[in-house]
Amino acid sequence: MGPSILLNNVSLKYENNIVLQDVSLTLDAGKCHVFMGPNGGGKTSLLRSMLGLTPFKGEINIHWPNRKGKIGYVPQKAIFEPSLPLTVLDFILLNQSRSPLFFNLNKKHKEKALHHLDRVGMADRALLRMGQLSGGEQQRVLFSQALLDEPELLILDEPTNGMDDQGVRYFEALITALVKEEKTIVVVHHDITAVRRLEAEVHVVNGLLLESGHASEVLKAHKIEQLFSHYRRSSVANSAINNSEVA
Amino acid sequence: METLRLLASQGADAGWLTESFSYAFMVNALVAALLLGPLLGGLGTLVIAKRLAFFSEAVGHAALTGIAIGVLLGEPPENPIIGLFCFCMIFALLLHFVRNRTAVPYDTLVGVFLAVALAGGAALLMYVARKINIHMLENVLFGSILTITDFDLLVLAISCSLIVVGLMFTFNRILLASISPDIARVRGYNTHFYDYLFVIMITLVTIAAVKIVGAVLVGALLLIPGATARLMTKSMGSFVLLSSLLATLSCLIGTLLPMELKLPIPSGASIILVAATFFLTTTIYRIVGRNR
Repeated sequence: MGPSILLNNVSLKYENNIVLQDVSLTLDAGKCHVFMGPNGGGKTSLLRSMLGLTPFKGEINIHWPNRKGKIGYVPQKAIFEPSLPLTVLDFILLNQSRSPLFFNLNKKHKEKALHHLDRVGMADRALLRMGQLSGGEQQRVLFSQALLDEPELLILDEPTNGMDDQGVRYFEALITALVKEEKTIVVVHHDITAVRRLEAEVHVVNGLLLESGHASEVLKAHKIEQLFSHYRRSSVANSAINNSEVA
Repeated sequence: METLRLLASQGADAGWLTESFSYAFMVNALVAALLLGPLLGGLGTLVIAKRLAFFSEAVGHAALTGIAIGVLLGEPPENPIIGLFCFCMIFALLLHFVRNRTAVPYDTLVGVFLAVALAGGAALLMYVARKINIHMLENVLFGSILTITDFDLLVLAISCSLIVVGLMFTFNRILLASISPDIARVRGYNTHFYDYLFVIMITLVTIAAVKIVGAVLVGALLLIPGATARLMTKSMGSFVLLSSLLATLSCLIGTLLPMELKLPIPSGASIILVAATFFLTTTIYRIVGRNR
Protein backbone atom coordinates (compact mmCIF):
# COMPACT_ATOMS: atom_id res chain seq x y z
CA MET A 1 0.00 0.00 0.00
CA GLY A 2 1.30 3.45 -0.93
CA PRO A 3 1.43 6.42 1.46
CA SER A 4 -0.93 9.35 1.81
CA ILE A 5 0.53 12.84 1.49
CA LEU A 6 -0.58 15.86 3.50
CA LEU A 7 0.21 19.34 2.26
CA ASN A 8 -0.40 22.11 4.75
CA ASN A 9 -0.08 25.77 3.67
CA VAL A 10 2.70 25.02 1.23
CA SER A 11 4.17 28.22 -0.22
CA LEU A 12 7.15 28.67 -2.46
CA LYS A 13 8.84 31.59 -4.12
CA TYR A 14 11.94 32.15 -6.21
CA GLU A 15 13.32 35.57 -5.25
CA ASN A 16 10.27 37.85 -5.79
CA ASN A 17 8.31 35.43 -7.92
CA ILE A 18 5.63 33.68 -5.88
CA VAL A 19 5.18 30.22 -7.37
CA LEU A 20 2.84 28.65 -4.83
CA GLN A 21 0.78 30.16 -2.07
CA ASP A 22 -0.87 28.33 0.81
CA VAL A 23 -1.61 25.08 -0.93
CA SER A 24 -3.32 22.69 1.47
CA LEU A 25 -4.38 19.30 0.25
CA THR A 26 -4.54 15.63 1.15
CA LEU A 27 -3.51 13.06 -1.41
CA ASP A 28 -5.15 9.78 -0.45
CA ALA A 29 -3.12 6.60 -0.34
CA GLY A 30 -3.33 4.06 -3.13
CA LYS A 31 -4.75 6.43 -5.74
CA CYS A 32 -3.55 8.23 -8.82
CA HIS A 33 -3.38 12.01 -8.34
CA VAL A 34 -2.90 14.25 -11.35
CA PHE A 35 -1.72 17.85 -11.02
CA MET A 36 -2.83 20.00 -13.91
CA GLY A 37 -2.77 23.69 -14.73
CA PRO A 38 -1.18 26.23 -17.03
CA ASN A 39 2.58 26.49 -17.61
CA GLY A 40 4.36 28.21 -14.74
CA GLY A 41 1.50 27.41 -12.39
CA GLY A 42 3.77 25.66 -9.87
CA LYS A 43 2.99 21.98 -10.56
CA THR A 44 6.61 20.87 -10.99
CA SER A 45 7.70 22.98 -8.00
CA LEU A 46 5.05 21.27 -5.88
CA LEU A 47 6.26 17.82 -6.93
CA ARG A 48 9.88 18.78 -6.26
CA SER A 49 8.85 20.08 -2.83
CA MET A 50 7.23 16.72 -2.03
CA LEU A 51 10.52 15.04 -2.94
CA GLY A 52 12.58 17.46 -0.84
CA LEU A 53 14.35 18.82 -3.92
CA THR A 54 13.06 22.39 -3.55
CA PRO A 55 12.83 24.36 -0.28
CA PHE A 56 9.34 25.53 0.65
CA LYS A 57 7.34 27.04 3.48
CA GLY A 58 4.62 25.06 5.21
CA GLU A 59 4.42 21.34 5.80
CA ILE A 60 4.49 18.27 3.60
CA ASN A 61 4.06 14.98 5.42
CA ILE A 62 4.24 11.61 3.74
CA HIS A 63 2.42 9.03 5.88
CA TRP A 64 3.64 5.54 5.12
CA PRO A 65 1.28 2.76 6.24
CA ASN A 66 4.12 0.70 7.72
CA ARG A 67 7.82 1.46 7.46
CA LYS A 68 9.14 4.11 5.07
CA GLY A 69 8.89 2.79 1.55
CA LYS A 70 10.62 3.45 -1.74
CA ILE A 71 9.93 6.42 -4.00
CA GLY A 72 10.18 6.29 -7.78
CA TYR A 73 10.70 9.55 -9.65
CA VAL A 74 10.58 10.54 -13.29
CA PRO A 75 11.89 14.08 -13.81
CA GLN A 76 10.34 16.44 -16.34
CA LYS A 77 13.41 16.27 -18.51
CA ALA A 78 16.80 14.64 -18.37
CA ILE A 79 19.59 15.72 -20.70
CA PHE A 80 21.89 13.00 -21.98
CA GLU A 81 24.91 14.01 -24.00
CA PRO A 82 24.74 12.13 -27.33
CA SER A 83 28.48 11.47 -27.48
CA LEU A 84 28.76 9.96 -23.99
CA PRO A 85 28.81 6.16 -24.39
CA LEU A 86 26.17 5.65 -21.71
CA THR A 87 23.83 2.93 -22.97
CA VAL A 88 20.25 2.39 -21.87
CA LEU A 89 21.41 -0.74 -20.00
CA ASP A 90 24.23 1.27 -18.36
CA PHE A 91 21.74 3.86 -17.15
CA ILE A 92 19.50 1.24 -15.55
CA LEU A 93 22.47 -0.59 -13.99
CA LEU A 94 23.71 2.73 -12.65
CA ASN A 95 20.45 3.14 -10.76
CA GLN A 96 20.14 -0.47 -9.78
CA SER A 97 23.52 -1.61 -8.58
CA ARG A 98 26.60 -0.40 -6.80
CA SER A 99 28.92 -2.66 -8.82
CA PRO A 100 30.89 -0.21 -10.97
CA LEU A 101 29.88 -0.28 -14.64
CA PHE A 102 33.45 -1.15 -15.64
CA PHE A 103 33.50 -4.17 -13.34
CA ASN A 104 29.95 -5.45 -13.43
CA LEU A 105 30.26 -9.17 -14.04
CA ASN A 106 26.99 -10.07 -12.34
CA LYS A 107 24.65 -11.64 -14.91
CA LYS A 108 21.67 -11.32 -12.57
CA HIS A 109 22.04 -7.55 -12.50
CA LYS A 110 21.88 -7.41 -16.29
CA GLU A 111 18.92 -9.79 -16.44
CA LYS A 112 17.04 -7.73 -13.88
CA ALA A 113 17.80 -4.51 -15.77
CA LEU A 114 16.61 -6.04 -19.04
CA HIS A 115 13.43 -7.28 -17.37
CA HIS A 116 12.65 -3.75 -16.20
CA LEU A 117 13.38 -2.34 -19.64
CA ASP A 118 11.07 -4.94 -21.12
CA ARG A 119 8.24 -3.63 -18.93
CA VAL A 120 8.38 -0.34 -20.82
CA GLY A 121 9.11 -1.89 -24.21
CA MET A 122 12.75 -0.78 -24.32
CA ALA A 123 14.63 -4.09 -23.92
CA ASP A 124 15.49 -4.21 -27.63
CA ARG A 125 17.07 -0.74 -27.34
CA ALA A 126 19.25 -1.66 -24.33
CA LEU A 127 22.55 -1.22 -26.15
CA LEU A 128 21.79 2.17 -27.71
CA ARG A 129 23.24 5.30 -26.19
CA MET A 130 20.84 7.30 -24.04
CA GLY A 131 21.66 10.41 -26.07
CA GLN A 132 20.59 8.66 -29.28
CA LEU A 133 17.05 7.99 -28.09
CA SER A 134 14.08 10.18 -28.93
CA GLY A 135 12.48 12.20 -26.13
CA GLY A 136 9.65 9.68 -25.79
CA GLU A 137 12.05 6.74 -25.60
CA GLN A 138 14.12 8.52 -22.94
CA GLN A 139 10.93 9.04 -20.92
CA ARG A 140 10.22 5.31 -21.14
CA VAL A 141 13.70 4.52 -19.82
CA LEU A 142 13.28 7.06 -17.03
CA PHE A 143 9.96 5.43 -16.18
CA SER A 144 11.65 2.03 -16.10
CA GLN A 145 14.26 3.50 -13.74
CA ALA A 146 11.51 4.76 -11.46
CA LEU A 147 9.97 1.27 -11.23
CA LEU A 148 13.28 -0.46 -10.37
CA ASP A 149 12.79 -0.76 -6.62
CA GLU A 150 9.06 -1.61 -6.83
CA PRO A 151 8.26 1.76 -5.20
CA GLU A 152 5.10 2.35 -3.17
CA LEU A 153 5.05 6.02 -4.18
CA LEU A 154 5.62 7.16 -7.76
CA ILE A 155 6.14 10.82 -8.59
CA LEU A 156 6.07 11.51 -12.31
CA ASP A 157 6.64 14.91 -13.88
CA GLU A 158 5.08 14.94 -17.34
CA PRO A 159 6.08 11.32 -18.00
CA THR A 160 4.43 11.15 -21.43
CA ASN A 161 6.31 14.17 -22.81
CA GLY A 162 7.34 13.38 -26.37
CA MET A 163 5.80 9.89 -26.29
CA ASP A 164 3.93 8.58 -29.30
CA ASP A 165 0.33 7.42 -29.01
CA GLN A 166 1.34 3.82 -28.43
CA GLY A 167 3.71 4.90 -25.66
CA VAL A 168 1.01 6.96 -23.97
CA ARG A 169 -1.45 4.01 -24.01
CA TYR A 170 1.28 1.74 -22.66
CA PHE A 171 1.97 4.23 -19.87
CA GLU A 172 -1.72 4.49 -19.01
CA ALA A 173 -2.04 0.69 -18.79
CA LEU A 174 0.97 0.60 -16.42
CA ILE A 175 -0.49 3.35 -14.22
CA THR A 176 -3.82 1.53 -14.03
CA ALA A 177 -2.03 -1.70 -13.07
CA LEU A 178 0.02 0.11 -10.40
CA VAL A 179 -3.08 1.74 -8.90
CA LYS A 180 -4.66 -1.72 -8.67
CA GLU A 181 -1.63 -2.71 -6.58
CA GLU A 182 -2.59 0.24 -4.30
CA LYS A 183 0.51 2.29 -5.02
CA THR A 184 0.20 6.05 -4.65
CA ILE A 185 0.91 7.85 -7.88
CA VAL A 186 1.39 11.60 -8.26
CA VAL A 187 1.60 12.86 -11.85
CA VAL A 188 1.91 16.19 -13.59
CA HIS A 189 0.03 15.91 -16.87
CA HIS A 190 -1.16 18.29 -19.57
CA ASP A 191 -3.36 16.09 -21.73
CA ILE A 192 -6.95 16.47 -20.54
CA THR A 193 -8.23 13.56 -22.67
CA ALA A 194 -5.54 11.22 -21.35
CA VAL A 195 -6.25 12.26 -17.74
CA ARG A 196 -9.96 11.56 -18.22
CA ARG A 197 -9.02 8.02 -19.26
CA LEU A 198 -6.89 7.57 -16.11
CA GLU A 199 -9.90 7.88 -13.75
CA ALA A 200 -7.69 9.86 -11.38
CA GLU A 201 -8.09 12.53 -8.74
CA VAL A 202 -7.34 15.83 -10.42
CA HIS A 203 -5.87 18.89 -8.67
CA VAL A 204 -5.67 22.10 -10.71
CA VAL A 205 -2.86 24.39 -9.57
CA ASN A 206 -2.05 27.90 -10.74
CA GLY A 207 -0.15 29.47 -7.88
CA LEU A 208 -3.09 28.46 -5.71
CA LEU A 209 -5.02 25.23 -5.56
CA LEU A 210 -7.96 26.08 -7.83
CA GLU A 211 -9.94 22.87 -7.91
CA SER A 212 -9.62 19.37 -6.56
CA GLY A 213 -11.71 16.27 -7.12
CA HIS A 214 -12.36 13.30 -9.35
CA ALA A 215 -11.49 13.81 -13.03
CA SER A 216 -15.15 13.49 -14.02
CA GLU A 217 -16.03 16.42 -11.73
CA VAL A 218 -13.07 18.74 -12.32
CA LEU A 219 -12.59 18.29 -16.06
CA LYS A 220 -16.06 19.38 -17.12
CA ALA A 221 -16.14 21.25 -20.39
CA HIS A 222 -17.50 24.52 -18.97
CA LYS A 223 -14.76 24.70 -16.28
CA ILE A 224 -11.75 23.96 -18.39
CA GLU A 225 -11.16 27.35 -20.01
CA GLN A 226 -11.41 29.15 -16.68
CA LEU A 227 -9.20 26.69 -14.79
CA PHE A 228 -6.42 26.55 -17.33
CA SER A 229 -6.14 30.28 -17.98
CA HIS A 230 -2.52 31.44 -18.12
CA TYR A 231 -3.33 34.48 -15.99
CA ARG A 232 -2.58 34.09 -12.35
CA ARG A 233 -5.39 34.22 -9.86
CA SER A 234 -5.61 37.78 -8.56
CA SER A 235 -4.40 37.12 -4.98
CA VAL A 236 -1.13 35.55 -6.18
CA ALA A 237 -0.64 38.28 -8.77
CA ASN A 238 -1.28 41.00 -6.18
CA SER A 239 1.17 39.43 -3.72
CA ALA A 240 3.80 39.26 -6.41
CA ILE A 241 3.31 42.94 -7.26
CA ASN A 242 3.38 43.97 -3.58
CA ASN A 243 6.55 41.98 -2.99
CA SER A 244 8.33 43.52 -5.94
CA GLU A 245 7.32 47.00 -4.74
CA VAL A 246 8.68 46.28 -1.26
CA ALA A 247 11.88 44.90 -2.77
CA MET B 1 61.46 -2.48 -5.49
CA GLU B 2 65.10 -3.48 -5.11
CA THR B 3 64.32 -6.99 -6.47
CA LEU B 4 62.45 -5.52 -9.41
CA ARG B 5 65.32 -3.20 -10.22
CA LEU B 6 67.78 -6.11 -9.96
CA LEU B 7 65.67 -8.25 -12.29
CA ALA B 8 65.42 -5.40 -14.81
CA SER B 9 69.16 -4.87 -14.65
CA GLN B 10 69.82 -8.60 -15.19
CA GLY B 11 67.34 -8.57 -18.08
CA ALA B 12 69.22 -5.65 -19.65
CA ASP B 13 72.57 -7.38 -19.11
CA ALA B 14 71.25 -10.58 -20.71
CA GLY B 15 69.97 -8.59 -23.69
CA TRP B 16 66.27 -9.34 -23.09
CA LEU B 17 65.56 -5.72 -22.23
CA THR B 18 67.05 -2.53 -23.59
CA GLU B 19 69.86 -0.69 -21.86
CA SER B 20 67.42 1.80 -20.33
CA PHE B 21 66.17 -0.88 -17.92
CA SER B 22 69.56 -1.09 -16.25
CA TYR B 23 68.92 2.36 -14.71
CA ALA B 24 67.14 2.31 -11.36
CA PHE B 25 65.33 5.60 -12.04
CA MET B 26 63.88 4.12 -15.23
CA VAL B 27 62.37 1.16 -13.37
CA ASN B 28 60.97 3.55 -10.77
CA ALA B 29 59.43 5.67 -13.52
CA LEU B 30 57.85 2.67 -15.23
CA VAL B 31 56.34 1.44 -11.97
CA ALA B 32 54.97 4.94 -11.38
CA ALA B 33 53.54 4.93 -14.91
CA LEU B 34 51.88 1.56 -14.32
CA LEU B 35 50.31 2.82 -11.10
CA LEU B 36 49.17 6.16 -12.48
CA GLY B 37 48.00 5.22 -15.96
CA PRO B 38 44.91 3.15 -15.12
CA LEU B 39 43.84 5.63 -12.47
CA LEU B 40 44.18 8.74 -14.64
CA GLY B 41 42.38 6.98 -17.49
CA GLY B 42 39.53 5.77 -15.27
CA LEU B 43 39.05 9.09 -13.49
CA GLY B 44 39.28 10.86 -16.85
CA THR B 45 36.02 9.25 -17.99
CA LEU B 46 34.25 10.81 -15.03
CA VAL B 47 35.93 14.16 -15.75
CA ILE B 48 34.45 13.98 -19.26
CA ALA B 49 31.02 12.79 -18.10
CA LYS B 50 30.88 15.56 -15.49
CA ARG B 51 32.24 18.14 -17.98
CA LEU B 52 35.03 19.04 -15.57
CA ALA B 53 37.89 19.14 -18.08
CA PHE B 54 38.57 22.80 -17.42
CA PHE B 55 38.43 22.16 -13.68
CA SER B 56 41.11 19.46 -13.75
CA GLU B 57 43.29 21.76 -15.86
CA ALA B 58 42.79 24.54 -13.30
CA VAL B 59 43.82 22.28 -10.40
CA GLY B 60 46.98 21.33 -12.33
CA HIS B 61 47.83 24.95 -13.02
CA ALA B 62 47.14 25.93 -9.41
CA ALA B 63 50.04 23.65 -8.57
CA LEU B 64 52.37 26.44 -9.69
CA THR B 65 51.27 28.60 -6.76
CA GLY B 66 51.30 25.61 -4.39
CA ILE B 67 54.88 24.83 -5.35
CA ALA B 68 55.96 28.46 -4.92
CA ILE B 69 54.33 28.63 -1.48
CA GLY B 70 55.95 25.33 -0.47
CA VAL B 71 59.43 26.50 -1.53
CA LEU B 72 58.98 29.88 0.20
CA LEU B 73 57.99 28.10 3.41
CA GLY B 74 61.22 26.11 3.33
CA GLU B 75 60.30 22.86 1.58
CA PRO B 76 62.90 21.26 -0.74
CA PRO B 77 62.43 22.75 -4.25
CA GLU B 78 62.54 19.31 -5.91
CA ASN B 79 59.60 18.05 -3.84
CA PRO B 80 57.44 20.77 -2.20
CA ILE B 81 54.68 18.25 -1.52
CA ILE B 82 53.02 19.91 1.51
CA GLY B 83 52.62 23.31 -0.16
CA LEU B 84 51.41 21.62 -3.30
CA PHE B 85 48.93 19.37 -1.49
CA CYS B 86 47.50 22.09 0.77
CA PHE B 87 47.14 24.76 -1.90
CA CYS B 88 45.65 22.46 -4.57
CA MET B 89 43.18 20.96 -2.09
CA ILE B 90 42.08 24.38 -0.77
CA PHE B 91 41.85 25.72 -4.34
CA ALA B 92 39.71 22.80 -5.55
CA LEU B 93 37.41 22.67 -2.51
CA LEU B 94 36.94 26.45 -2.44
CA LEU B 95 36.14 26.52 -6.15
CA HIS B 96 33.55 23.80 -5.71
CA PHE B 97 32.12 25.48 -2.59
CA VAL B 98 31.67 28.79 -4.42
CA ARG B 99 30.20 26.99 -7.44
CA ASN B 100 27.32 25.67 -5.31
CA ARG B 101 26.56 29.12 -3.95
CA THR B 102 26.68 31.43 -6.94
CA ALA B 103 24.81 31.94 -10.19
CA VAL B 104 28.05 32.59 -12.09
CA PRO B 105 28.47 29.95 -14.85
CA TYR B 106 30.95 27.24 -13.85
CA ASP B 107 33.39 27.76 -16.73
CA THR B 108 33.56 31.49 -15.93
CA LEU B 109 34.18 30.73 -12.27
CA VAL B 110 36.95 28.23 -13.09
CA GLY B 111 38.48 30.85 -15.41
CA VAL B 112 38.53 33.44 -12.62
CA PHE B 113 40.03 31.00 -10.09
CA LEU B 114 42.60 29.81 -12.61
CA ALA B 115 43.67 33.35 -13.45
CA VAL B 116 44.01 34.28 -9.77
CA ALA B 117 46.04 31.15 -8.98
CA LEU B 118 48.34 31.67 -11.96
CA ALA B 119 48.82 35.35 -11.20
CA GLY B 120 49.57 34.52 -7.56
CA GLY B 121 52.02 31.83 -8.64
CA ALA B 122 53.77 34.14 -11.11
CA ALA B 123 54.11 36.82 -8.43
CA LEU B 124 55.48 34.38 -5.85
CA LEU B 125 57.96 32.88 -8.31
CA MET B 126 59.84 36.19 -8.32
CA TYR B 127 60.58 35.63 -4.64
CA VAL B 128 61.26 31.92 -5.17
CA ALA B 129 63.84 32.79 -7.83
CA ARG B 130 65.90 34.56 -5.15
CA LYS B 131 66.12 31.36 -3.09
CA ILE B 132 66.66 28.62 -5.72
CA ASN B 133 67.57 28.04 -9.33
CA ILE B 134 64.19 28.59 -11.02
CA HIS B 135 64.94 25.85 -13.57
CA MET B 136 64.59 23.27 -10.81
CA LEU B 137 60.88 23.99 -10.86
CA GLU B 138 60.64 22.71 -14.41
CA ASN B 139 60.90 19.17 -13.03
CA VAL B 140 57.78 19.70 -10.95
CA LEU B 141 55.87 21.57 -13.61
CA PHE B 142 56.60 19.25 -16.56
CA GLY B 143 57.68 16.01 -14.89
CA SER B 144 61.04 14.33 -14.56
CA ILE B 145 61.56 10.61 -14.20
CA LEU B 146 64.99 11.22 -12.68
CA THR B 147 63.45 12.52 -9.46
CA ILE B 148 61.17 9.56 -8.57
CA THR B 149 62.26 7.91 -5.33
CA ASP B 150 61.08 4.79 -3.47
CA PHE B 151 59.25 7.08 -1.05
CA ASP B 152 57.44 8.73 -3.99
CA LEU B 153 56.40 5.30 -5.23
CA LEU B 154 55.07 4.42 -1.79
CA VAL B 155 53.04 7.65 -1.65
CA LEU B 156 51.82 6.98 -5.17
CA ALA B 157 50.83 3.37 -4.38
CA ILE B 158 48.92 4.44 -1.27
CA SER B 159 47.14 7.30 -3.09
CA CYS B 160 46.25 5.10 -6.05
CA SER B 161 44.98 2.26 -3.82
CA LEU B 162 42.78 4.66 -1.85
CA ILE B 163 41.31 6.17 -5.00
CA VAL B 164 40.75 2.82 -6.72
CA VAL B 165 39.00 1.37 -3.66
CA GLY B 166 36.93 4.56 -3.38
CA LEU B 167 36.01 4.40 -7.06
CA MET B 168 34.93 0.75 -6.85
CA PHE B 169 32.26 1.72 -4.32
CA THR B 170 31.28 5.13 -5.62
CA PHE B 171 31.77 5.17 -9.41
CA ASN B 172 28.09 4.55 -10.20
CA ARG B 173 26.88 7.11 -7.69
CA ILE B 174 29.34 9.79 -8.78
CA LEU B 175 28.22 9.24 -12.37
CA LEU B 176 24.50 9.26 -11.54
CA ALA B 177 24.93 12.38 -9.39
CA SER B 178 26.40 14.16 -12.41
CA ILE B 179 24.02 12.82 -15.10
CA SER B 180 20.82 13.16 -13.11
CA PRO B 181 21.33 14.77 -9.70
CA ASP B 182 17.58 14.87 -8.94
CA ILE B 183 17.16 11.12 -9.43
CA ALA B 184 20.28 10.53 -7.33
CA ARG B 185 18.88 12.70 -4.52
CA VAL B 186 15.49 10.96 -4.60
CA ARG B 187 17.36 7.66 -4.30
CA GLY B 188 18.85 9.04 -1.09
CA TYR B 189 22.37 9.70 -2.35
CA ASN B 190 24.12 12.74 -0.95
CA THR B 191 25.08 14.35 -4.26
CA HIS B 192 27.17 17.07 -2.59
CA PHE B 193 29.22 14.40 -0.83
CA TYR B 194 29.90 12.57 -4.10
CA ASP B 195 30.79 15.82 -5.86
CA TYR B 196 33.30 16.77 -3.17
CA LEU B 197 34.67 13.22 -3.06
CA PHE B 198 35.35 13.42 -6.78
CA VAL B 199 37.03 16.81 -6.43
CA ILE B 200 39.28 15.36 -3.70
CA MET B 201 40.14 12.35 -5.91
CA ILE B 202 41.09 14.63 -8.82
CA THR B 203 43.25 16.77 -6.56
CA LEU B 204 44.97 13.73 -5.02
CA VAL B 205 45.76 12.19 -8.39
CA THR B 206 47.06 15.54 -9.66
CA ILE B 207 49.48 15.73 -6.75
CA ALA B 208 50.46 12.06 -7.11
CA ALA B 209 51.21 12.57 -10.81
CA VAL B 210 53.39 15.66 -10.37
CA LYS B 211 56.72 13.82 -10.44
CA ILE B 212 56.12 11.88 -13.63
CA VAL B 213 53.65 13.93 -15.70
CA GLY B 214 54.21 17.33 -14.16
CA ALA B 215 51.63 19.53 -12.47
CA VAL B 216 50.82 21.56 -15.57
CA LEU B 217 50.27 18.59 -17.86
CA VAL B 218 48.41 16.19 -15.56
CA GLY B 219 45.05 17.70 -16.52
CA ALA B 220 45.73 16.77 -20.12
CA LEU B 221 46.38 13.14 -19.21
CA LEU B 222 43.08 13.05 -17.37
CA LEU B 223 41.38 14.27 -20.51
CA ILE B 224 43.05 12.95 -23.67
CA PRO B 225 42.83 9.14 -23.13
CA GLY B 226 39.17 9.55 -22.13
CA ALA B 227 38.47 11.70 -25.18
CA THR B 228 40.11 9.04 -27.38
CA ALA B 229 38.20 6.18 -25.74
CA ARG B 230 34.93 8.05 -26.14
CA LEU B 231 35.40 7.99 -29.90
CA MET B 232 35.90 4.22 -29.94
CA THR B 233 33.54 2.72 -27.38
CA LYS B 234 29.84 1.99 -27.18
CA SER B 235 29.28 1.44 -23.47
CA MET B 236 30.39 3.00 -20.22
CA GLY B 237 32.28 -0.11 -19.07
CA SER B 238 34.40 -0.33 -22.21
CA PHE B 239 34.85 3.47 -22.13
CA VAL B 240 36.51 3.28 -18.70
CA LEU B 241 38.59 0.21 -19.51
CA LEU B 242 39.87 1.55 -22.84
CA SER B 243 40.61 4.96 -21.36
CA SER B 244 42.64 3.29 -18.60
CA LEU B 245 44.52 1.17 -21.13
CA LEU B 246 45.33 4.18 -23.33
CA ALA B 247 46.48 6.27 -20.37
CA THR B 248 48.71 3.41 -19.17
CA LEU B 249 50.19 2.91 -22.64
CA SER B 250 50.77 6.66 -22.95
CA CYS B 251 52.57 6.72 -19.60
CA LEU B 252 54.73 3.70 -20.45
CA ILE B 253 55.61 4.68 -24.01
CA GLY B 254 56.03 8.34 -23.06
CA THR B 255 58.45 7.37 -20.30
CA LEU B 256 60.46 4.89 -22.39
CA LEU B 257 60.62 6.68 -25.71
CA PRO B 258 62.81 9.70 -24.83
CA MET B 259 65.27 7.35 -23.11
CA GLU B 260 65.40 4.92 -26.01
CA LEU B 261 65.68 7.67 -28.61
CA LYS B 262 67.93 9.77 -26.40
CA LEU B 263 65.66 12.80 -26.74
CA PRO B 264 65.99 15.64 -24.20
CA ILE B 265 62.22 15.84 -23.54
CA PRO B 266 60.58 16.02 -20.10
CA SER B 267 58.57 12.87 -19.34
CA GLY B 268 55.32 14.84 -18.95
CA ALA B 269 55.57 16.36 -22.40
CA SER B 270 56.48 13.03 -23.94
CA ILE B 271 53.55 11.24 -22.26
CA ILE B 272 51.08 13.89 -23.43
CA LEU B 273 52.45 13.79 -26.98
CA VAL B 274 51.96 10.00 -27.08
CA ALA B 275 48.41 10.35 -25.73
CA ALA B 276 47.71 13.09 -28.29
CA THR B 277 49.01 10.82 -31.07
CA PHE B 278 46.43 8.17 -30.05
CA PHE B 279 43.75 10.85 -30.08
CA LEU B 280 44.70 12.28 -33.47
CA THR B 281 44.96 8.82 -35.05
CA THR B 282 41.54 7.85 -33.74
CA THR B 283 39.98 11.14 -34.80
CA ILE B 284 41.39 10.84 -38.33
CA TYR B 285 40.26 7.20 -38.51
CA ARG B 286 36.73 8.21 -37.46
CA ILE B 287 36.60 11.10 -39.93
CA VAL B 288 37.90 8.98 -42.81
CA GLY B 289 35.56 6.12 -41.83
CA ARG B 290 32.56 8.46 -41.81
CA ASN B 291 33.40 9.89 -45.22
CA ARG B 292 33.73 6.48 -46.87
